[in-house]
Amino acid sequence: MASPVSNGAERQSGSLVVVRSVDEVTSETFVRITADGSVTAYNGHVDLGTGIRTALGQIVAEELDVSFARVVIVLGDTALVPNQGATIASETIQITAVPLRKAAAQARQFLIARAAERLELPEVDLRIEDGLVRGHDNRSVSYGELIGGEEIRLELADDVAVKPVGDYAIVGQSVPRVDLPAKATGELTFVHDIRVPGMLHGRVVRPPYAGVDAGPFVGTSLLAVDESSVRDIPGLVAVVRIGDFVGIVAEREENAIRAAEQLKVSWKPTPALNDLSDVETALRANPSTPRTLIDKGDVDAAISGAAKPMQRTYVWPYQMHASIGPSCAVADFADGNIRVWSGTQNPHVLRSDLALLIERPESEIEVIRLEAAGCYGRNCADDVTADALLLSRAVGHPVRVQLTREQEHAWEPKGTAQLIDVNGGLDANGGIAAYDLATRYPSNAAPTLALLLTGRIASEPAVLQMGDRTAIPPYDYDHMRVVAHDMPPIVRASWFRGVSALPNTFAHESYIDEAATEAGVDPIQYRLRYLRDQRAVDLVNAVAERAGWTPRPVREEKYGDIVHGRGFAYALYVHSKFPGYGAAWSAWVADVAVNKTTGDVSVTRVVAGQDSGLMINPDGVRHQIHGNVIQSTSRALREEVSFERGAVAAREWGAYPIIPFPDVPKIDVLMLPRADQPPLGVGESASVPSAAAIANAIFDATGVRFREPPFTPERILRGLHGAAPATPQALPARAKPSSHIWENPFAKRAGIVATIAAVCTAAIGIGAALLPGRAIAPIARPDASVYSAATIARGQQLAAFGNCAECHTTRNGALYAGGRALETPFGTIYATNITPDVETGIGAWSYPAFERAMRDGLHRDGRQLYPAFPYTHFSKTNDADMQALYAYLMTQPAVHATAPANTLAFPFNLRQLLAGWNALFHQTKEFKPDPAKSEAWNRGAYLVESLGHCSGCHSPRNALGAEQGNAYLAGGFAEGWEAPPLTSLSHAPIPWSEDELFAYLRTGHSRYHGVAAGPMAPVVRDLKALPDQDIRAMAVYLNSFNDAATDAVALAAKLESATQVTTGSSTGARLYQGACAVCHEVGGLPLFGSRPSLALNSNLHSATSDNLIQVILHGIAAPVSSDLGYMPAFRNSMSDAQIEELVTFLRKQFAPDKPAWTGVRETIARVRTSTH
Amino acid sequence: MTQTPIRLTVNGAIHEVAAAAETPLLYVLRNDLALNGPKYGCGLGECGTCTVLIDGAPARSCVIPVSGCAGRDIVTLEGLGTRDKPDVVQQAFIDEQAAQCGYCLNGMIMTTKALLAINPRPTEQEALAALRYNLCRCGTHVEILRAVMRASGQLTEAAD
Repeated sequence: MASPVSNGAERQSGSLVVVRSVDEVTSETFVRITADGSVTAYNGHVDLGTGIRTALGQIVAEELDVSFARVVIVLGDTALVPNQGATIASETIQITAVPLRKAAAQARQFLIARAAERLELPEVDLRIEDGLVRGHDNRSVSYGELIGGEEIRLELADDVAVKPVGDYAIVGQSVPRVDLPAKATGELTFVHDIRVPGMLHGRVVRPPYAGVDAGPFVGTSLLAVDESSVRDIPGLVAVVRIGDFVGIVAEREENAIRAAEQLKVSWKPTPALNDLSDVETALRANPSTPRTLIDKGDVDAAISGAAKPMQRTYVWPYQMHASIGPSCAVADFADGNIRVWSGTQNPHVLRSDLALLIERPESEIEVIRLEAAGCYGRNCADDVTADALLLSRAVGHPVRVQLTREQEHAWEPKGTAQLIDVNGGLDANGGIAAYDLATRYPSNAAPTLALLLTGRIASEPAVLQMGDRTAIPPYDYDHMRVVAHDMPPIVRASWFRGVSALPNTFAHESYIDEAATEAGVDPIQYRLRYLRDQRAVDLVNAVAERAGWTPRPVREEKYGDIVHGRGFAYALYVHSKFPGYGAAWSAWVADVAVNKTTGDVSVTRVVAGQDSGLMINPDGVRHQIHGNVIQSTSRALREEVSFERGAVAAREWGAYPIIPFPDVPKIDVLMLPRADQPPLGVGESASVPSAAAIANAIFDATGVRFREPPFTPERILRGLHGAAPATPQALPARAKPSSHIWENPFAKRAGIVATIAAVCTAAIGIGAALLPGRAIAPIARPDASVYSAATIARGQQLAAFGNCAECHTTRNGALYAGGRALETPFGTIYATNITPDVETGIGAWSYPAFERAMRDGLHRDGRQLYPAFPYTHFSKTNDADMQALYAYLMTQPAVHATAPANTLAFPFNLRQLLAGWNALFHQTKEFKPDPAKSEAWNRGAYLVESLGHCSGCHSPRNALGAEQGNAYLAGGFAEGWEAPPLTSLSHAPIPWSEDELFAYLRTGHSRYHGVAAGPMAPVVRDLKALPDQDIRAMAVYLNSFNDAATDAVALAAKLESATQVTTGSSTGARLYQGACAVCHEVGGLPLFGSRPSLALNSNLHSATSDNLIQVILHGIAAPVSSDLGYMPAFRNSMSDAQIEELVTFLRKQFAPDKPAWTGVRETIARVRTSTH
Repeated sequence: MTQTPIRLTVNGAIHEVAAAAETPLLYVLRNDLALNGPKYGCGLGECGTCTVLIDGAPARSCVIPVSGCAGRDIVTLEGLGTRDKPDVVQQAFIDEQAAQCGYCLNGMIMTTKALLAINPRPTEQEALAALRYNLCRCGTHVEILRAVMRASGQLTEAAD
């Protein structure tokens, strides 16, 4: 088959078309054959990744007698293809392909008749090979020649004879998918890949009522959009607001992303939404209208006469389509010629919506459908197309809008929760006495979001009648009543693979399994009693045989921690408007293993049998069955949308996990050969028996019935052990071995008397007692030429080492020009300008003034400097280094900039008090080496204690903000981050060693501790200025405060193997598996960057959760070096509650001997609003 | 936000791009270099659709700023082969029909490429573990696993 093109159908000299007239002026084309012999076929459905493009090509090639390669299939372009409704319910082959097949057959019949005339031979004597009609005398004429320059137009006839199946040569053969070579090489243009000239990039900002589309607040909640909040975004084109629709357009995509994140939008508080923590109660409370689908026999009498009444309730959860690619679209709003490129599953319906949205006639709008990520129902493809159109209209350029993962998760119309009550029971013979089913399906077609957000349509939810799919069981019960309680959605919901049939079948197939157990009859035998459909009976028997089903009238008790079980379920997927019609027949035998300790269920093998009638492309059918088995197993085991206060909370894959490779069952597909029967929809049918087969297998394994998927470990444990789950208790906290509290070997030792005096001085504020220094006269800025290049270079190294720029430079600001806000417990201090600008910097400072500032904390003019400036450390700098630093700073470019005034609370705004502070806590003394120690130790001590000022962050501070000399390097806090203890007080599970300290300070990474992040990352980056021997010296010095070395390799292996995460047994564990494990799991495939081991990470073992929460919320965007890799920020993807679950899990899992953190929720709230 | 041009080596060719330093590599590859193989899936490195090779290692290009890629060797799906001359891994995926919608396919192929570079004959368990964090929603796992086995020359034809 030729490569797909979406805008083909160029007019050749002559052509033959088969059309269906819609009215006097419009017609729809199904098949076009041109004089060059090429064949284009048009179908209103689209390929959602299932391979229908290939299958339709086979059908057309077969009926036309041309080679498969000659056919081009055009799908979903509203300007070209017939309107055949939405691509839903697996109808394409079963329903939509029918006119196409007829059109092809009709064209062939026309052409062969014409050939007979041309060749003057009877039709029966003609053979066709790839469009070449040949007589027995070997004369031939091609389709193209038969068409010539003519414009032949055939009206599609209803009564066209199609080929007998026995003559099929192309249909029924496995044909490779035509789209895969392009997909495997990046050459296929998905809708995400469309680029049109002049295209801009848009993003939308969605309202806070995430995933809710009904209620008076929908479209009416926007208060204000502060456009000034995005003024700094380069290439920003527009901010657009219409009702609750908010969008942004920028020239570059990354800037549109930034703008959408940064845009300040205020919304009215959302009124209380429906509580969805208990889905059953919410669905019962939802208003509904009963609609009886069948009422046969005397159900009430049969129930009251039942020998064993059985009343059961089955609850299906909210689930997501969960397309791998968030929806994307491009729109080009040009007057009278409006084009959108969309991944929609219903181009014509979408065109109507767009016409309504922008108040233009449909005829002006063309919807061009391109392939997108699989959707399995209604996702956000239409929403994003409408969004793009609104933005394109606003800016007069083509605009591409890409929804974020978070938006797709939150706003996609969900596969709805469903509630099914079954009343009935067994009669005296063990038969089903009665079957009285009521089903509640709160879903509709999910109106395109922009229509609601802009107020174009009312937010009154429509009630659709879609809960009835397969609501009538396939079993011939004598007394049976089925009622669909039609109801509006509670949250935004629409069809998802299997629609209501999957949950309804879960009820049918669970109930009959329960009944069989009660009756003491083998579950398959029991079903066969009630199955009247021979094709169903054949399939059930074939699947039982293939699976090696052993009849089991009585369940056998299983023993051990891991128990195995086997379950059966069957369904004929009945879809479309009630009473609907059947797609393929499907039956499953599922094998499970249940871990009774962890609650983990694995589906180990599925035998999936199907009768799909004639299979157009058998390999395609097999792949679809595989896909449906895997997806529905995922849904049954793990999928459930979480809500917080009624809004969708799951916004990434950790909160909505789908099945990963290792958990995929072995699948054995059995396809019944039914070439003599009409082809049926194949894929979706295979999903329908899934959950029931798995639940029945879990029952076989455990003896416990589970009537509410997903069958997560928590549910299984609750079911097995009652309300109190047998969760393994956290290990008791291990007593910390006693450790030294180290004193700073260089700290000022103040006597008691002096302390009291100084405290009095400070408290009373007798500034006069200790006058600040005198002003030192300004000088002309020294000439740079007086300093040698070597001195300047040395100074540069020292400035880097001292992290001067870190405080004295704002983000993206001029180097050393000051202005950065430093948050202290006493208020905000703004770092000063230390460029050599004479007026606003230190250009007029002589060396003595500079040295006095560095050693005494006095400004040139004599006023006290706040000790946020670590002069207590800098004072220890030796003269040579001090001079080099001065030389370097004085030779930097002067920047005229005045820092904002400090905002310190009283009394800290009184600088005079600092004299008292200095008297207490500061001594102006150069570093003196300790002769008893090694040269390296002393070098390290000098570096750490002077410009390095490590203890400035890593030692705790007292109430007056001074380092506590008697708790040297015992850990402190800086800029919202914990600076962990560097001594034997370290919380790290593996004590630091000289080599690890060296590795960490040199590279920012230690295998046994983690990576430098937060304020430590720039520190390590600045340490690059120092040679290895200086870093080694610092490591030697710092390590002297640690205990003796341990066998780190052995301990690491032990800790890592003891903390492996094997099951997703809690929300926190699943968040870890979905969001963290890819980079943090021990032993995974190497990825770009480091792979920090959480079992060894100091932050997981710390007394406070701050650092862990910092990196989760804000990520690591600027690591020490790119070799270490980057960590994304999760602040916009996870809620506080989710992060609390995650953090709590991580602590318990990876630091099992440490007590749980307290105040995690408060820390999250604090860190979320912090700037670091 | 500095706008100094960043020099990248992508699929063997050197490019200078004028994107902000913090721009994720993914957007530069797609929008500046028109390389459509890597796809946006989650922006958090969770799903793997954006995978490229950086200095031979699989990398999630949605979470790596372009500035971190300066001077590094980047290979995308397009760099492996074309429809006419596919790479052995691409060919194996085509032969096994290992895609439905194909959106995750880039990540599957690139991760397989990286796996086979360090483990040319992985066991099925190793292949499953290597692809553990590449998500597929269509359920093409069976065909993908066969493609990995085929690409490593150890497909047992009997298996299905």
